[in-house]
Amino acid sequence: MGGRERRRALAVAGRAAVYLVVLAVAVVMALPFYWMVVTAVSPAQDILAFPPQWVPNHLTAEHFRIALAKAPWASYYLNSLVVAVVSVACSLLFGLFAGYAFAVYRFPLQTVCFLLILSTLMVPVQVTSVALYVLLAKIGWVDTYLGILAPNFASAFGVFLIRQGIKAVPVDLIEAARMDGAGEVRIVLTIVAPLVKTILATVAMILFLGSWNDFLWPVIVINSQGLRTLPVGIALFKDPYGSINYGPLMAATVIATGPMLVAYALSQRFMIRGIALTGLKG
Amino acid sequence: MADQRDRSRPWPRSSPRPGPRSWRRWWAHLRARHVLHAYLFIAPVLLLFGLFRVVPSVQTLIYSVYRVELLRGRFTFIGLENFRDLLADAAFRTGVVNTLIYVLTIVPVSAAFGLGLAVLFDQRLRFGELLKAVYFAPMVTSTAAAAMVWWWLYNPQFGLFNVLLRLVRVPDQPWLMSSHTALLSIIIFSVWKNLGYNMIIYLAGLQAIPASFHEAATIDGAGPVARFWRITLPLLAPTTTFLLIYNGILAFQVFDQVYVLTGGGPAGATNVVVLDLYRQAFERYRFGYAAAEATVLFVLILGVTVVQHLYSRRFEVAY
Amino acid sequence: MKRLAAFSAALAVLAVGAAVPSASWAQTKITLWYPAGDITAGASHFAEKDLWAEFEKKHNVKVEAVALDYETMQQKIFAAAAGKTIADILFIDNSWLPGFLKEEMVEPVADQKAKAWLAAVSPEIKELSDYGSGRMWGYPQYGIDIYGLTWNKDHFKEAGLDPEKPPKTWPEFREYAKKLTKRDAQGNITRVGYAIRHVGHPHGVVHKHFWALYGAGAALVDNPLALRGGKAAFNNAGGKAALQLVLDMLDTDKSTSLNFPDPRAAFLKGIASMQISETVSIHARQPKEAPELKWGLALPPVPKAGDKPVSLLGGWMYAVPKQAKNKALAWEAIEWINSPEKDFELCKKYDATPRYKVNWDKEPFKSDPYDQALKLIYPAGKNLPLNLGLNGVMDAMGGAIQKAWHHEATVDQALADAEQAANKAIADAAK
Repeated sequence: MGGRERRRALAVAGRAAVYLVVLAVAVVMALPFYWMVVTAVSPAQDILAFPPQWVPNHLTAEHFRIALAKAPWASYYLNSLVVAVVSVACSLLFGLFAGYAFAVYRFPLQTVCFLLILSTLMVPVQVTSVALYVLLAKIGWVDTYLGILAPNFASAFGVFLIRQGIKAVPVDLIEAARMDGAGEVRIVLTIVAPLVKTILATVAMILFLGSWNDFLWPVIVINSQGLRTLPVGIALFKDPYGSINYGPLMAATVIATGPMLVAYALSQRFMIRGIALTGLKG
Repeated sequence: MADQRDRSRPWPRSSPRPGPRSWRRWWAHLRARHVLHAYLFIAPVLLLFGLFRVVPSVQTLIYSVYRVELLRGRFTFIGLENFRDLLADAAFRTGVVNTLIYVLTIVPVSAAFGLGLAVLFDQRLRFGELLKAVYFAPMVTSTAAAAMVWWWLYNPQFGLFNVLLRLVRVPDQPWLMSSHTALLSIIIFSVWKNLGYNMIIYLAGLQAIPASFHEAATIDGAGPVARFWRITLPLLAPTTTFLLIYNGILAFQVFDQVYVLTGGGPAGATNVVVLDLYRQAFERYRFGYAAAEATVLFVLILGVTVVQHLYSRRFEVAY
Repeated sequence: MKRLAAFSAALAVLAVGAAVPSASWAQTKITLWYPAGDITAGASHFAEKDLWAEFEKKHNVKVEAVALDYETMQQKIFAAAAGKTIADILFIDNSWLPGFLKEEMVEPVADQKAKAWLAAVSPEIKELSDYGSGRMWGYPQYGIDIYGLTWNKDHFKEAGLDPEKPPKTWPEFREYAKKLTKRDAQGNITRVGYAIRHVGHPHGVVHKHFWALYGAGAALVDNPLALRGGKAAFNNAGGKAALQLVLDMLDTDKSTSLNFPDPRAAFLKGIASMQISETVSIHARQPKEAPELKWGLALPPVPKAGDKPVSLLGGWMYAVPKQAKNKALAWEAIEWINSPEKDFELCKKYDATPRYKVNWDKEPFKSDPYDQALKLIYPAGKNLPLNLGLNGVMDAMGGAIQKAWHHEATVDQALADAEQAANKAIADAAK
């Protein structure tokens, strides 16, 4: 009797310890965000007060006012949204079909093609950006939506992950559909896609994040003010020599980041359900 | 007649002289194996990547055997001279060493932490959803923006980390200011940044393991630890492979956080390959030299990826 | 299949559609690229709405000023030049000039105009504009930057020093710094007498060490006007003395510390009593960040009495890239905005020092104490050398400074290594 009670006590203590660790690490995770938000609402003098103030004494909306007034946020959001939606949609669509082909078919030069796609990840974008820029300049895509989208119409990450997911789909389902006379395209779209729904949602989420935060390529290819995406717009708040602009910069970052956290929370619902059938085997 | 499901043999080598009959059979065979479909399905990706990614990459790699004066339009072929210079360049060597240290630390550590968190969150924890969001949150900001925040957190005088250390009577750490601790500071930042990503990929993988497996093992008397090692971990092998390969590729090209946090300093102590090639290209205008660095990096990444791919095959368990 | 084809067709149509240039303007348009934020005070006017109105009307053009992110600006300029889509006017950091010249990216100013300019501007502007034999590669901004010593007058009073008398020699400088340093009960420094810049981009570190290096008789390269070739000139007694000065203050005097990495912020926060960096920056930030601060501005100290003080002139400049599409108009626009009248108007508006000799004689510049203090410092200003390998030299020197002050190498070793790296960079760039 004493033994069982002791085991129960240990189990509870174990759980408590787990909770403690998780909470402690969560605090570490959230700390920089906390600092970001605090900076965004503290007056300029307090931002670099020494000793630093972790709980602000004064609050101000000044930085948000400056940030909102200084930049055309609607335009930034719209541009970021257009780019993100188009690139994610294309990547998902093309990735779905390509992933299916790599997972289901056997065709000559298959491994070569797959490695080729993967290898596009292996040369740093800092140097390929110049060569790509020159290429786009020749076809007049510089400073256009197409220019921003050009390297992002497809995603090697997407192809890779979707391929893993589709490999788990039982071949019999596909064969049965073929027997029934369904065309390949229809099979992909109506049978396979729903089965890998979760993978697609994961890919969509991560690609969306990547596109939303993408800075280097947009900053190089965008010249006009009207085409600027969010990260490009926020960068203009930066002042590496001065600290006075930390306030508006953090305010700008909060404005840009906030919706992303909301979007993540919403997508979580979609992501977890229905994984049981697929998984990432093989 | 070739078996429609036979995926190991290419088209049938039936008659020695192709006549109308064997063409039709060859075509039927191809259609059965959907070769045409295959090429059509991968065509968009290949074409788009081919034009917008492969061509610029190949062009950049080709620059490594030239002295490139891009704006003058002058390309002088100099063979392997850039590569010889690279080997002699101490900054590049430091860059390679630092990059390797970075990759070898961050990839397994991030995966391990991600796995731990995923296992934790797989159970029903109170406030689980909220905590998960908090852990994922660092992924939402751009690396550069987060790095700027951490630059201040690492400030030896005002930064939060030293303030916390003072509370527990630990002496102030120089963090980014000393070449002994700078690389470690960057690594800590990167682990923080990527934790959430590893976590959700593992979560997806975990939830694919049917509960029946765990139930059966429990009935057989296996404790949670044994279940983890014997069932969970092996079944997660493909996920682990994916993360190690993909994160590895990205880790080799680390740039943003180094640029923002230390600029490669102090005194070049945290130089990494991509930072080095960036400065050679856009501050010294030695584009051919930078391309040579990119080539070396490419070969390194490709090699590691191929090795990982081959090695991982041994661990994949199907059921 | 049909759906896929349809999708691809739609994409193709989109591609063609977007590639066709949008409605062509009846007017010509010239673009100007400048850095966003408070990178330099001399770019403040670009954000003005009708800055170019007069010019636009006269020449029937539209001038579009585009703000760029400072950190990726060089990369963007390079890519745009390679793709021939670069702006017509560039507002660039003059320390980027050697790199641009290596790639032959910018056009020189026409000889006649250069001569006229050099004759009409004050000596320090001439120093900044003239790159040898009257050759100009662009027009420097108004309100040029010079590095000066700033000190906190209240701290001086507190320490028993005359608040109007800054240290003039290195021994005095060390003594003052010792007196000004404050410690807490545990002996940790809470206020440094002098704050040093030792982290961040190596070029910045070198810029802030310039006064000591050149003041001690050393230099970055031996011939400041030679584009190609030459040798590093800092591995000598002067170079060593310059590094040793701060090292002594760190180790012996304990009047400075590595823990105050942002000297200007520390100065404005009142935890550093002296610092040496761009004066314009303090002038711009102090009213907002430290309205109560009383500060002084003077030449940096010299090794011993009788030596000539040296400071670094910095600034941004208007340049025209070779690949620009509207070069003639670009030069006209640059000349218009840098005319004596515009110089007076903008300098008065943005509280900056003018460039033309005639404007210095006018109010408010004649009586403004800050401007007049600057006028005393300007003669000591030197421009950065024009060597194609300059960036490499500064990388090497910056590394040496960091290694020495972080105690990771002796002064001799650090300088010897840096000399080797610098000479290699010069040789590589000259190829």
